[in-house]
Amino acid sequence: MKRSLPVALLVLAAAALAVLPKFVESTYVLHMMILIFINVIVGSSWNILGGYTGQYSVGHAAYFGVGAYTTMILMQFKHVAPWWGVWAGTGVAVITALVIGSICFRLRGPYFVLASIAVAEIFRVCALNLKDLTNGAEGILVTDIPPLMIGKTQITDWVSKVPFYYTGLSFMVLIIAVSALVRRSKLGYYFQAIREDQDAAHSLGINPTIYKNTALVISAVFTSLAGSLYGVYVGFIDPSTVLALDLSVQIVMICIIGGIGTISGPVVGAALLVPLSEALRSNAITDALIKAGLVNAESKVGGFLKENLAHAHVLIYGILVVVVILFMPEGVLGFFRKFSALAPRQRGEGGRRPGEGR
Amino acid sequence: MQALISGILIGGVYALIGVGLTIIFGVMRVINFAHGELLMLGMYATYYLFTLAHVDPFLSIVVTMPLMFLFGALLQKTVINRVLNALPQNQILLTIGLGLIMSNTIMLAFTSDYKILSTTYSSSSVTVGGISISLPLVISFAITAAITMALYWFLLKTDTGQAIRATAQDREAARLMGINVKWMSILAFGLGSALAATAGALISPTYYIFPQVGSVFTLKAFVITVLGGMGSVIGATLGGVLIGVAESVGGVYFGAGWKEVVVFVLFLLVLLFKPSGLLGKSRT
Repeated sequence: MKRSLPVALLVLAAAALAVLPKFVESTYVLHMMILIFINVIVGSSWNILGGYTGQYSVGHAAYFGVGAYTTMILMQFKHVAPWWGVWAGTGVAVITALVIGSICFRLRGPYFVLASIAVAEIFRVCALNLKDLTNGAEGILVTDIPPLMIGKTQITDWVSKVPFYYTGLSFMVLIIAVSALVRRSKLGYYFQAIREDQDAAHSLGINPTIYKNTALVISAVFTSLAGSLYGVYVGFIDPSTVLALDLSVQIVMICIIGGIGTISGPVVGAALLVPLSEALRSNAITDALIKAGLVNAESKVGGFLKENLAHAHVLIYGILVVVVILFMPEGVLGFFRKFSALAPRQRGEGGRRPGEGR
Repeated sequence: MQALISGILIGGVYALIGVGLTIIFGVMRVINFAHGELLMLGMYATYYLFTLAHVDPFLSIVVTMPLMFLFGALLQKTVINRVLNALPQNQILLTIGLGLIMSNTIMLAFTSDYKILSTTYSSSSVTVGGISISLPLVISFAITAAITMALYWFLLKTDTGQAIRATAQDREAARLMGINVKWMSILAFGLGSALAATAGALISPTYYIFPQVGSVFTLKAFVITVLGGMGSVIGATLGGVLIGVAESVGGVYFGAGWKEVVVFVLFLLVLLFKPSGLLGKSRT
């Protein structure tokens, strides 16, 4: 009973998301949802490595970028349709992950973090300099996406946002399912054993190198899927968007803010961060403040907000991260869970709630 | 040869950045990911002192150094102190967050335009034995050498300096010896940020100044400290010069675009084969 309830809720949520485009026509809402999907995918896949296995990679932009670049290069220069290119992208990401893993997993703790950053930066500089392959700093712009055909019937021409919406949704459902499966399986317990104490896990016969690499490969595959989807959806990639250190940091933040090591953490994190940064970017918050009569549009403060709040979303990210780490180290979810546990309503003794990370 | 000399000169400034980071790490075991941003604050302070008050960039360190010392000390006391016993990963993310706050506050205040600080001698150079060297680079190297010397004297000869080194060696033992460890941490972070800001001031006549400039230097600072051995001041000095030379010579041989790759590959190699650094003790 306890376990079937959240599953039922999840199915319901997925069904609601599946029919959403039938009722919502606003492209803006769809755009926002697609961005949330992409962020949930990268967050959840980082979570398998960072949350379950405890390897804080701050270089996940490497896999995102490798996926995006493979798909885009194949599509733009070799005329391979993206739905084939995406899988080529995951293949390249797996190879990348194995190479990076074999180097970085010899290191632990802060040294691993530093190595992962260094590797991602090497990828960025390479993408900048290998101009024949990647167009360098100019980036790759998609001119047109071939329509998806099965036999003679055209499934979609990729003109509207709806097909991207469904692609994103299905990838997201897939990664959440994989997360849940991994968590419940033997593999997941191996991962968590390595996170809690690598040496103890090793002495119990768990080969840390193999399982850390397994976690990284799973993580890299989905991160590259998200990267490919992002590239094809936005239609433009360059090293400073898909291979940037900022992106790696943002991926980690999604999990930190939502709650590390939980299935719902990245979902909550993405659902909080994406609308927030979009609202700031589009000046929706300033407009709301003005409408509410809190700030006068003509006054100096109003002008300042209007001018600058659009650029402030990274600043807000920074403040959020500091606040979350200082005051709610288990993420927003963990914070509210603790909050509700403090309420006088006493729970049963062995009530270790499902989804509790550590 | 030209590349070698200018590499050594810029390496002196890198050493300053690395030493700051290594002191912070040594005393508190916190890896400061906001180090480059502290340097960036130093650059901006220098820039505005120069444009608004016409203070020479090399003289302005008299102002920026104590200012950033106080800023760093305050940061340590109010924020970083709270996570001293947290997971290292959380410490890293906290300092990343702090760095984001700094760079974006500066961006909001002064826009993200590239600024250039041009003094009368910015583009002048001196020629020694047929090799021409940029004059600002020579001056900054001289100042760096003086500061490094003063720092060594402070750490080796004064009581406070010895207390800092004792805290770095063993926090608990230092506490038992009656050293105020909390105060040492504040001092160390202040010192680290002052050194970073000084480095920022020294390179401001030769670099573009923009809010995101910090992240480049944060990464470089890690490479330097890991290369020299985390927590080793002499190692960081050496590492700085080494990275300066590697970058400069690498830039000549592989082209300017690839010089960063040279540095990072060097970094990975050190991490893999001698993770304790060139002069570091074994990791704990």
